Amino acid sequence: MTSAILQAINGVSLAALLFLLASGFTLSFGLMRVVNMAHGAYYLIGGYVGLSIAQTTGSFALALAGGGAAVVVLGYLIDRFLIRRTGENHLAQVLLTVGVAFVLGDVALQIWGGDNLMVPAPAFLKGAVILPGDIYYPKYRFVLIFLGAFVGAVLWLLYKKTQLGAVVRAGVDDREQVNATGINVDRLFVMVSALASFLAGLAGVAGGAFLTLYPGAEWEILVYALVVVIVGGLGSLEGAMIGALIVGLLDAYGRWLLPEFSYFVLFGPIALLMLFRPRGLFGREH
Amino acid sequence: MDRTRIVLALVVLAGLLSLPFAAGPFWTGLATQMMIFGLLALSVDLLLGHAGLFSLTHASFFAVSAYTVAILQVRYNVPTALAAPAGIVAGTLLALVFGLAVRTRGVYFILITIAFGYVVWGVAHRWSSFTGGDNGVTNVPFPAIGAAAITSHTQYYYVVLAAVILCGLGYRLLIRSPFGLGLRGIKASETRMQSLGYRTSLHLYAAFVLSGALASFAGVLYVYYNKFVNPVAASFPISVEAALMAIVGGSGTIIGPFIGAGVVLGLRNWVSSFVEMHHAIMGVVFIATVLWAPQGLVGLAAQLRARLARRGEHKR
Repeated sequence: MTSAILQAINGVSLAALLFLLASGFTLSFGLMRVVNMAHGAYYLIGGYVGLSIAQTTGSFALALAGGGAAVVVLGYLIDRFLIRRTGENHLAQVLLTVGVAFVLGDVALQIWGGDNLMVPAPAFLKGAVILPGDIYYPKYRFVLIFLGAFVGAVLWLLYKKTQLGAVVRAGVDDREQVNATGINVDRLFVMVSALASFLAGLAGVAGGAFLTLYPGAEWEILVYALVVVIVGGLGSLEGAMIGALIVGLLDAYGRWLLPEFSYFVLFGPIALLMLFRPRGLFGREH
Repeated sequence: MDRTRIVLALVVLAGLLSLPFAAGPFWTGLATQMMIFGLLALSVDLLLGHAGLFSLTHASFFAVSAYTVAILQVRYNVPTALAAPAGIVAGTLLALVFGLAVRTRGVYFILITIAFGYVVWGVAHRWSSFTGGDNGVTNVPFPAIGAAAITSHTQYYYVVLAAVILCGLGYRLLIRSPFGLGLRGIKASETRMQSLGYRTSLHLYAAFVLSGALASFAGVLYVYYNKFVNPVAASFPISVEAALMAIVGGSGTIIGPFIGAGVVLGLRNWVSSFVEMHHAIMGVVFIATVLWAPQGLVGLAAQLRARLARRGEHKR
């Protein structure tokens, strides 16, 4: 019983991390039809930059902000000079951004080396919390759940309750129409894409403090994020939230109950879902 | 085929036949790899170039078939005559399941095939009691059917060459058949094909399974060449490189994927002799291809030829 609860918290904390990554991916697809496979590499670079900042300054908050900011700059350059040139050709986008991810991964390997590195969490987040029923749980992962929920709430309010969000939603539905009303969708997209990059970098720092950072981590985390997006439906914020929870919980219980086949536990239900809802839970025709 | 093309084909064939004598073991080995990965790229291109579906899970069929052959041969001493077909069957069965992905199109298809590919990699990597984990299965012998046994990499080169030529001819028949034309019709306009009465999803499903079978065959050729198989064979970079080879060479052609395999493997071999960053080099090739040569080398050559022809007309 205790293990079952522990795994539930494990799953939700992974879900929080995946949401940070998947929400940006899904929003940039929704608005600009951009498939950015370098999102995992953004996560890794953000994490490494955060690690270096945390090591020199000793501040975890600075690491989070710096990791996010570094990826905003990187993401802007890649978007402006490479991704824009592919138009709406998804095949070209996927190949191009996979190429970008390969380059970034190798550059990171040269700078930070091939070992598993852990971003140092601040002292007040170390140790465990004691939950009712004498369950000890790492404080850090508990806080991560709150971070995920906080970001989720802010994004949801931005998206549903502000004028900016309304414009973005309109852009997701019909970009030409929004452009025709005199709103600069390109500038809007630069903002959304900066937000997506920031969240990916932030996730790298936050994830690096418990999953560690290593060459190849970018692909592992990207595949999880893709599954979140497939389950939830491309372009849907609610989908990313629900999808992250489903994937996080399936993964935690899968690793616990069937360690050798945990990938099956994760992907089996997705194959089933595809039979009945090929566009995910909240996806629409694109 | 006109006469110049026949002559060209014969010259290339003569070159390939004499390669082991002219160039030595290093180049023979590299050429064997190019043909094997070219075949994998060709299988990817059946979907990509003819049906317009971008699959990133073909390493799965390749690896499942390679693992099947390796495990049967090494652990159970099953002879090649049974192990090799079993490998193809195993890979094709997986393609029958993964073919579900044709319920989706476009980006969803790409994303779902990536996820599928990861399952196979994960199983190869984690189910170590059966797959050998990261070490994989080693000491795979050369193939031997009855008394006819392969004993050297040079002999194996000729086996692969014969297999590739047969596959190429079969592939040519397939894409020129009504089935192949149907695929290209779906690529051009699926709704129009539907209104003509085609069951397009079934058509695509059949193409997916055929393509998986071809990738499985490449896996069989691979494991007998490589002598071992580990989770790398099932990994995402293999799937994406196979697609890259098809695109670099020229998607929608038969020779293109092999040229692409030659360029990609040759480049990697050459570059890795002086820098370690071979993933970055691959990445640059991806980016350059998308930006400057989306039609691949075969496409570039056709453009060049068209331009020369136009210039020739001006002179006249």
